[in-house]
Amino acid sequence: MSDAAPSDRSLQILNTVLLVLAGCVVMVPTLWMVASSFKQSFEVTAYPPTIIFTPTLDNYVALSETTPFLHYAFNSMIVTMASTALGLILGAPAAFVASWTRITWPAIVTLVARMAPGTLFLLPWYVMFRQVDMIGSYWSLILTHAVITMPIVIWVLIPFFDNIPRSVYEAAQVDGCSPARVFWRIALPLVTAGLAVSAILAFVFSWNYFLFALVLSNSDTKTLIAASFNFIGEGSTNWGALMAAATLIALPPLILAVIVQRWLISGLTLGAVKG
Amino acid sequence: MASISMRSLVKTYGDFTVIPGLDLEIADHEFVVLVGPSGCGKSTLLRVLAGLERINGGDLYIGDDRVNDVPAARRDIAMVFQDYALYPHMTVRQNMAFALEMRGMDKAEIETRVKRAAGLLHIEDFLDRRPKALSGGQRQRVAMGRAIVRDPRVFLFDEPLSNLDAKLRAQVRAEIKALSQQLRTTMVFVTHDQVEAMTMADRIVIMKSGIIQQVGSPEDVYERPANLFVAGFIGSPAMNVLPVTVAGDRLVLSNARSVQIASLGSKRPAALIEGATVDLGIRPEHFEVAPDDPNAIAVTVDLVEPLGSDTLIHFKLAEINAIARVSPDLRPKPGDSLSLSPVPGKIHLFERETGEVIR
Ligand SMILES: Nc1ncnc2c1ncn2[C@@H]1O[C@H](COP(=O)(O)OP(=O)(O)OP(=O)(O)O)[C@@H](O)[C@H]1O
Ligand SMILES: [Mg+2]
Repeated sequence: MSDAAPSDRSLQILNTVLLVLAGCVVMVPTLWMVASSFKQSFEVTAYPPTIIFTPTLDNYVALSETTPFLHYAFNSMIVTMASTALGLILGAPAAFVASWTRITWPAIVTLVARMAPGTLFLLPWYVMFRQVDMIGSYWSLILTHAVITMPIVIWVLIPFFDNIPRSVYEAAQVDGCSPARVFWRIALPLVTAGLAVSAILAFVFSWNYFLFALVLSNSDTKTLIAASFNFIGEGSTNWGALMAAATLIALPPLILAVIVQRWLISGLTLGAVKG
Repeated sequence: MASISMRSLVKTYGDFTVIPGLDLEIADHEFVVLVGPSGCGKSTLLRVLAGLERINGGDLYIGDDRVNDVPAARRDIAMVFQDYALYPHMTVRQNMAFALEMRGMDKAEIETRVKRAAGLLHIEDFLDRRPKALSGGQRQRVAMGRAIVRDPRVFLFDEPLSNLDAKLRAQVRAEIKALSQQLRTTMVFVTHDQVEAMTMADRIVIMKSGIIQQVGSPEDVYERPANLFVAGFIGSPAMNVLPVTVAGDRLVLSNARSVQIASLGSKRPAALIEGATVDLGIRPEHFEVAPDDPNAIAVTVDLVEPLGSDTLIHFKLAEINAIARVSPDLRPKPGDSLSLSPVPGKIHLFERETGEVIR
């Protein structure tokens, strides 16, 4: 850093300040949540908050004893993984075709669908699934969540596909690839970073989306995030247990991000063309 | 192995017409070299042949098949792209094997072919590298290799040697020529290099703004250019062009009528009218140093460029810059005077208005 030009110094300082600020906004509530989950109930709401305390697993024990927490977690996993997979399976080819043909209006339609508030879909979805008697099934949740995951996948992947030099596709065609094979053998391996990013985002959005689950699931298929709303307001709220639940809910997306980040290398298309 | 037939072929991009209507027949086994200035539509024509661009008019036949609507993947053509277009996620070996794999060739045969092509192009040492770890010239050879492992109906090459050093270029050039004679596959080769064009081609096609100016053997286009454009494009340094006036059986410089520059001799074209002004073309190598010839032109040397194998002399003829190629033994200095005369029978005459040759 010492070899930076003098004029860059103020930029560096600004950079550091912004990083610290962003860190505070993100990290303080997270740390507070995690810390609270290990506190005794009375400490959680104590003011001023206790910094030094004896950690306890009481909240976690209470959580697993009073709720079918693992079952909800399992539901969440099923719905989230399936809807993420569905989003990728539908979204990746769609993004490829949108990028190749430069026809993006269908992608924009999906984006508009994504932007619209979920309540807009809720009623039609509900009526439809009611008619085919699918309320409370995993499929009703997986399909509705794909409405959230697919546009994410499409819009994350389009710029990745756009980055692949056109002549690479053309070379593949000349080499005898059908469009499907160009997608499978050439385009897809070149956007693994995009797949990783879109998978994480889709996973997180689906994992955290509660509205559809609230209405379309039953007590058997309820997802974690929907179930956690039951923890609030049942008489007196058990803040400690709620913090423990929140911590556990936050864990899978975090783990996923760590696992997937090794695919987040850029520059994969380097060397294709002249330079 | 197939002939190619282009009939009134039209290619436009929106309002912009790249190829306004092109007719060209390429015979089976033929090696055709496409030349022309940058932007004249050479790459576009190759892309049309490959099936990467849809044509807007006319017909395209490969062999006996009309392929106007046949997609690239089913035309069985191998192409070297001007910008290489390597697969970045594959090693050199995988890049070269890909097309063969797509055709379901067996592993051993693929391996043999990749080895042979790699040897030919001197890329055996980096078969396991990715394109990004290669230099420009190495990448270009991989692009070349990806094409020559195949056994297609037609090879298309878009300036495939432009990034190689002189020695390697000469080597690969010779190898492609040998390969074409051995495989006997139809080849269309785009280049900016005069030597490549002259040495490799069965026929040269000279294009300008999407219009074919002349098609002919290398000797043809060099010795009998159809118009001023071809005359100026083929040959390096370019042909000297001087405005002259017909005076009896003599040609005199239009702006210095006392200077006779050539005599027409007995083979005077009928189209030449007494007193007409035409363009006279003389190639630099078709000047002779003739100190004893009473009709020789006396010139003053402006600049001397020794090339080793021969020497270029720059001089002015009535304000027009001209170049003569002479023996390297001759070492005139700037300011010296020299007697030059055109080699009889090696002069070209072009119409003033149209630039068409007068025969
Ligand atoms: N996709 C396109 N859209 C519009 N115009 C194009 C397109 N591709 C090429 N052109 C135009 O068509 C003309 C021919 O281009 P082309 O690439 O065939 O030239 P070229 O003869 O290969 O030139 P060079 O020797 O520089 O490679 C150029 O004027 C170019 O600007
Ligand atoms: Mg070109």
